[in-house]
Amino acid sequence: MEDWTFRAEGVTKAFGEFLANDGITLEVRPGEVYGLLGPNGAGKTTLVKQVIGLLKPTSGSLTLGSYDLVEDPDAARQLCSYLPQAQMPIDSFKAHQVMALTGMIRGGDPETVRRRSDEMIEALDIGEWRDTLGAKLSGGIKRLVGFAMVTVWPGRVVILDEPTNDVDPRRRRLLWEQIRCLGDGGASVFLVTHNVLEAEKSVDRLAIINEGRLIAEGTPSSLKAEDRGRMRLQLMVVPGRATPEMPSFVHDHTRVGNNVIATIGEVDSAHAIGWAQELIGLGEAEEYALAATTLEDVYIRMTGHASEEVDAEVPA
Amino acid sequence: MTAGQALVTAPITIRSGAGHWLRSYAVMTRWELGSLRMFLPLIVALQVVVGGGFALGIGLFFDQMPTRNALYLSTGAAVVTLITVGLVLGPQLIGNHKTAGTYDFLWSLPVPRTSQAASWVTVNSVIALPGMVAALLIANWRYDLPLRLSLSIVPAVLLTIVSATMIGYAFAHAIRKPMVTQLITTLLIFVILGFAPINFPPENLPGWLADLNLYLPFYHMAVVMRGGLTEGLVTDVGISYLVLGMYTAASVAVAAWVVGRRD
Repeated sequence: MEDWTFRAEGVTKAFGEFLANDGITLEVRPGEVYGLLGPNGAGKTTLVKQVIGLLKPTSGSLTLGSYDLVEDPDAARQLCSYLPQAQMPIDSFKAHQVMALTGMIRGGDPETVRRRSDEMIEALDIGEWRDTLGAKLSGGIKRLVGFAMVTVWPGRVVILDEPTNDVDPRRRRLLWEQIRCLGDGGASVFLVTHNVLEAEKSVDRLAIINEGRLIAEGTPSSLKAEDRGRMRLQLMVVPGRATPEMPSFVHDHTRVGNNVIATIGEVDSAHAIGWAQELIGLGEAEEYALAATTLEDVYIRMTGHASEEVDAEVPA
Repeated sequence: MTAGQALVTAPITIRSGAGHWLRSYAVMTRWELGSLRMFLPLIVALQVVVGGGFALGIGLFFDQMPTRNALYLSTGAAVVTLITVGLVLGPQLIGNHKTAGTYDFLWSLPVPRTSQAASWVTVNSVIALPGMVAALLIANWRYDLPLRLSLSIVPAVLLTIVSATMIGYAFAHAIRKPMVTQLITTLLIFVILGFAPINFPPENLPGWLADLNLYLPFYHMAVVMRGGLTEGLVTDVGISYLVLGMYTAASVAVAAWVVGRRD
């Protein structure tokens, strides 16, 4: 029986002097939903474009089972499905037609892909738009149709680059269920995202990539191990004010816009609340929130960037 | 299987061979024609208007159009409609995919690159042929031309469409920036209409430019097409077939190399 484990070993991709990927090594087993997290420009999309054969590594290897994906890009395209970050070229097609046609291009037989298209439409709750031309669909529904196009007849590896962009919260949940189903069906799912909070709930394992390097890898809970017994204090500084001096009980902190995110020990929670209230009283801060640490805190500490969720909270 | 269950059906063996190629060609042709569905009638109508309009419009420059000139103009209009689709419209459509960000998805589809190229030639033919026929019919009605259609029009049209489409396909894929593609296509229209002996005989050009055109494909496209549409208007058709055949083979080879390479 073929072992369909995906392996990247020492993958380096240089554009002139710039290293978009620098010696990335990782392994994804069949059935795993594997997150690739990192800030914009970290090299996530460059990595997956090499998997699907759109780019060629400068050095290193990419294999899926016995197939060398670098040497055999035809095999790579047959074995891997790819949902790019950009919108799909579906303006002239009706939703169900384009899903079935893409399924046939991917090698599926017409009857099965038609049936699968209808199942995907039902599972993603987009039946209302089944016969609507792509040009008339909203961005979120287009995104869901795009997801169905690449998974109606999925490859052994399914690469999803920011699949939830523009999708409403209810259908996001349905989309995550389908992503989970892909893994349950035996596919290796590569999930490229910078939405850490969503990824934390959905991936089996993840890698954090920053400036082309893989800087951390593991399950969400293993990556948070260092933060056990810690809390996150989020402080909204009054716009224009400097970051307040941190008390000694703060382990580390990052400022994103007017948000200061500090990590503290659970035992210091009362001190932290008192300090935050004092800052509000002095007019230096507007509000604060104390919560359990998330993968987001690990991500911020490692990359120095907040994910899109925190960015969205930062006032302009 | 019920809704919500994933189907993992990636091939155990990689598809290859003639059957896979033909199937891929068929579905990609459906894809390309489907992608243009909203605009296809408009594009074809435009080609018909341009082809016929060109043959009529240039005639307005003259009080009396000598038959020989009318033959050059009319057959030239047919050639221009054929080659501008492959060399101008096709590259612009590919450039649009790059601008819109949809290029990566199309390029990640699991079909042989050559079947994608062949479906592109088919779609270009569907767009170009009605314009060519319209140009000839309208010109024949207007100038009462002594056209003599022969079977050699089939290979002439085939070589002209394939070479023009593959040259356009190759540079549109090779050039990263769509804006550069746009500029090149604009330059090509200028060269094709004004400085290639398509709508007029090569004697009308300065000697050096006529000589230069012997090494470019446009003149030879016009010669083989005239060979299939007229009698006695052009000579040395065999040499033009040879040159155009070499251009066609080279353009297919270069296109195959361009689409097969990866950065």
